[in-house]
Amino acid sequence: MGLLKGSASFVRFTVDGELPENPLDYIAERIALFSFKDIDDTYDEYSIGWVSILNMFDSEFDFASHIAGDYITLTLRVDERKVSPAILNKIVQKEEERIKKERQIPKLSRTMKVEIKERIKVELMRKAIPVPSTYELAWNLTESTLLFFSTNQKAHAVLEDFFKESFGLFIRQQIPYTVAEHLLDEESQSLLSKMTPEVLV
Amino acid sequence: MDLVDLIAEKRFLGQEFLTWLWWKSEERGGTVDVPEVGDVTLVFEKHMLLEFGEGESSEKIICSGLQAELQEARTGLQMGKKLEQARIRLDYNNYEFSFTLAAALMEFRSVRLPKTETTESDKSENPEEVEGMILERIFLFEELIRMVNKLFLMFLKVRVGDEWHDELPKIRVWINKAAVGR
Repeated sequence: MGLLKGSASFVRFTVDGELPENPLDYIAERIALFSFKDIDDTYDEYSIGWVSILNMFDSEFDFASHIAGDYITLTLRVDERKVSPAILNKIVQKEEERIKKERQIPKLSRTMKVEIKERIKVELMRKAIPVPSTYELAWNLTESTLLFFSTNQKAHAVLEDFFKESFGLFIRQQIPYTVAEHLLDEESQSLLSKMTPEVLV
Repeated sequence: MDLVDLIAEKRFLGQEFLTWLWWKSEERGGTVDVPEVGDVTLVFEKHMLLEFGEGESSEKIICSGLQAELQEARTGLQMGKKLEQARIRLDYNNYEFSFTLAAALMEFRSVRLPKTETTESDKSENPEEVEGMILERIFLFEELIRMVNKLFLMFLKVRVGDEWHDELPKIRVWINKAAVGR
């Protein structure tokens, strides 16, 4: 669903800033540097990086290029280990009960409780399988615009930061006001800036 | 002004555009004459979301119904609500797009592209054909944005110019007439 097939939801960004000489080489280099690293076999909690739009397991771009005409097409993949609060609470309580029984004490100190919670969290986190999220994008190099195939605001913020980190370029979401500034001439722009909401009834 | 403030302060701009577009499409029975393009079929259908007020005190109503008159939505307009989301069918030059426009942030949701030979072809293993399919789909997504921006520019020219004083009374008549009953 999205860029490749089916119905799609997206927003458009403007890409600000200059690319160096030989932009395609630079982009390829940066994609390789910021490609996705798998964390399934590690204890890392979070991993973010670029993968091929055709296959989320292809972070080397062996099977498909990231270039299509004048566009850079990429998938942003984020893997995160998560433990649901309900599970964490359950296991923490179970462990607290076990320790109370073992040491034959009626109550645990605050420090001990904090210690148990931290330890259990680390243990559960290590056991959790990273949950993947993927977001496709198409970067128009000619117009310096970018289609991002998600309307999730949190994903937008993640993209803005990671895109800047990867390519040294800022992206700004196009909203009606900024699109209007772009479409109108100077005289109309000043009228636009003074515009206030109209009562339509 | 940074983007967060712009989004909050200028939220009305996209919503007024969408409301104007609904009126514009009904003014000539679902056809809009777009500069450089000609007549475009533009129909509001199925689903609408209206909004009133801001932040915590904001109210929203959702109306849906296939080819319905969307009576509730029209009444909502009369109560001073503005259109925030609408499902639109856009038909021109043998292209038929169907999409939901979320006005405040200009989000395109559940976009259905026109069916073309390239985008409909079975999954190909040939890299050149895959690239062709991707480029065709990107072209169509951007084509939709170009068309929406053309309509937006039509609205902006009216809205910042003197013409607004002529169109606003017509819109008001349309909203009142629509709510009184059809």
